[in-house]
Amino acid sequence: MMTGARIGSLIAGSLVVLCVAILLVDYAVANRQPFASRPAAEQKRVTAERLARKSRDNAVGWVLIAAAAAFLTFAKGLVQQPKPRPPAARQSGADALGVPSGPMRSPGRAPELDLTFVDQIVLQFGRGKESAIPLLQAIQTHYRYLPDDALRRLCEQTDITPAEIAGTSSFYGQFRRSPVGEHIVRVCHGTACHVSGARQITEELRRFLAIPDGEDTDAARMFTLDEVACLGCCSLAPVLMVDGHTAGKLTPATACNALKVTA
Amino acid sequence: MSRVPEALGRACVLLVLLAHSALAQAIPYQRPVDTAPQANSIGGGYKVPPVQKPLPRDYWLQVVDAVALSAAMGVSVWLVLKRRSRKWLTALTIGSLAYFGFYREGCICPIGSLQNVVVALADPKYSIPMLVTATFVLPLVVALYFGRAFCGGVCALGAIQELVVLKPVQVPRRLDRALGLLKYVYLGLAILFAVKPALTRDFLICRFDPFVGFFRRNGAPHMLILGGGFLVLGMFVGRPYCRYLCPYGGLLAWCTRLARRGVTVTPNKELDCGLCAEACPYGAIEKMRAVRRNCLYCARCYASCPCDGELAHAKAGLVDLPGAAS
Repeated sequence: MMTGARIGSLIAGSLVVLCVAILLVDYAVANRQPFASRPAAEQKRVTAERLARKSRDNAVGWVLIAAAAAFLTFAKGLVQQPKPRPPAARQSGADALGVPSGPMRSPGRAPELDLTFVDQIVLQFGRGKESAIPLLQAIQTHYRYLPDDALRRLCEQTDITPAEIAGTSSFYGQFRRSPVGEHIVRVCHGTACHVSGARQITEELRRFLAIPDGEDTDAARMFTLDEVACLGCCSLAPVLMVDGHTAGKLTPATACNALKVTA
Repeated sequence: MSRVPEALGRACVLLVLLAHSALAQAIPYQRPVDTAPQANSIGGGYKVPPVQKPLPRDYWLQVVDAVALSAAMGVSVWLVLKRRSRKWLTALTIGSLAYFGFYREGCICPIGSLQNVVVALADPKYSIPMLVTATFVLPLVVALYFGRAFCGGVCALGAIQELVVLKPVQVPRRLDRALGLLKYVYLGLAILFAVKPALTRDFLICRFDPFVGFFRRNGAPHMLILGGGFLVLGMFVGRPYCRYLCPYGGLLAWCTRLARRGVTVTPNKELDCGLCAEACPYGAIEKMRAVRRNCLYCARCYASCPCDGELAHAKAGLVDLPGAAS
């Protein structure tokens, strides 16, 4: 279909060029003798030759118009390949930002983890239940989230039960069980930001990054969207923070630009 | 609150338009054909060839033209404001291009009628037929109430550019504004040349109409090349002639300041996602709101809106998906 449109636009385009060339040549041939240098009577005379040229040019003109219409129709098909898609179907906005998205990791299967780190910290912090939180913190600092494999390894190496790990890691807000994107976007949902449209900003970012409902990270694992309570700069509402950078007075149109500081 | 002064303004402009059209029509039109030598006065069996006696267009056909113009504008308003349908508007655009452009050969158009009206007001011996006055007044009246409905889908010059828009770039706002002032300069020049005494008078707008040559498949080569240039440019810059040069567009833009309704991108109904601003090739959406004086009634904003127009059913389909958490 793609190639069909391309071939069609090429054919129609060359037909356009051909018609223009014919008209130009016709004009040049008919005006070998400069118009002004001819006798006045001849300038106005309607000769059979002139009428024939007029009808010929008229026909070529129609072909030209038809060819141009065909060219535009085909070219529109080519140019508008990415149709205005409904929000869920939009590609990841990370590509639009020029962020190298790297090899796509499928969310279902995590890559092989180097679990020797778990063994090291167990040696460092000890095997008792009391070291559960420091261990989890160390794992989160190292892997940026709590991978299931690392937690399983932790259970094997220590006295901590899986139930305790599940309870601790889900109780504290600081622990994450799902992979995090390279950059964390914290959108403020405090009172001031809420009334100035934080909801719209978040929705626009979700749409832009193509983050599905119920998740917080885009497919390319570039950005993780986090709704936070307050960033402490209400005068700049609505506000978001990308890694260390703060962007304020956002609109849905400018919110996506705020992500560009990471690029 | 601001309704009353706007209504007053509309009434004033309407009054002025009506008064001027009455003035412009004051002289009954007479063709001075009878004063030319006739076949019997020349003698010798001479027959006047038909080419030298172009018949005026029948009165009823003129009425048909005026009615067609108003009907097309009505349909344009309805399609854009009520149906919000870009598809049907494109169909109307093609229809207008075929009728007002290729069939009527781009004449008489409201842009050019401006000069006839100016001359009729300035020169007591110059008269214009009803059709010219109607062609001039009707789009302005529509603009007073609904914005530039004439520009979208009715104007033949606009239609030919509308159809070539391929991959429009967003012109930087300042450049856009600065170039937009050119049309007022052009308007001033056109009026200046039109009010000159009869022999030195010149209709600049018609002489430098870049597209009329295509409608007639005939014209001065430099104008055809210029028109081709405008069309090629128009593939990447949306409707350059309309936005930067059309003098009648300047008048319409003034009238839209009093408009009652127009294309709106409302804060509550739409998402504020900015897809419409990206889709608008004419830079008529500023800060997520449609600017009436620049809006050319193409309905692209509605077509690109996920909440509206032709994509609305897609959204409804998404919501209906089983198991989709909101």
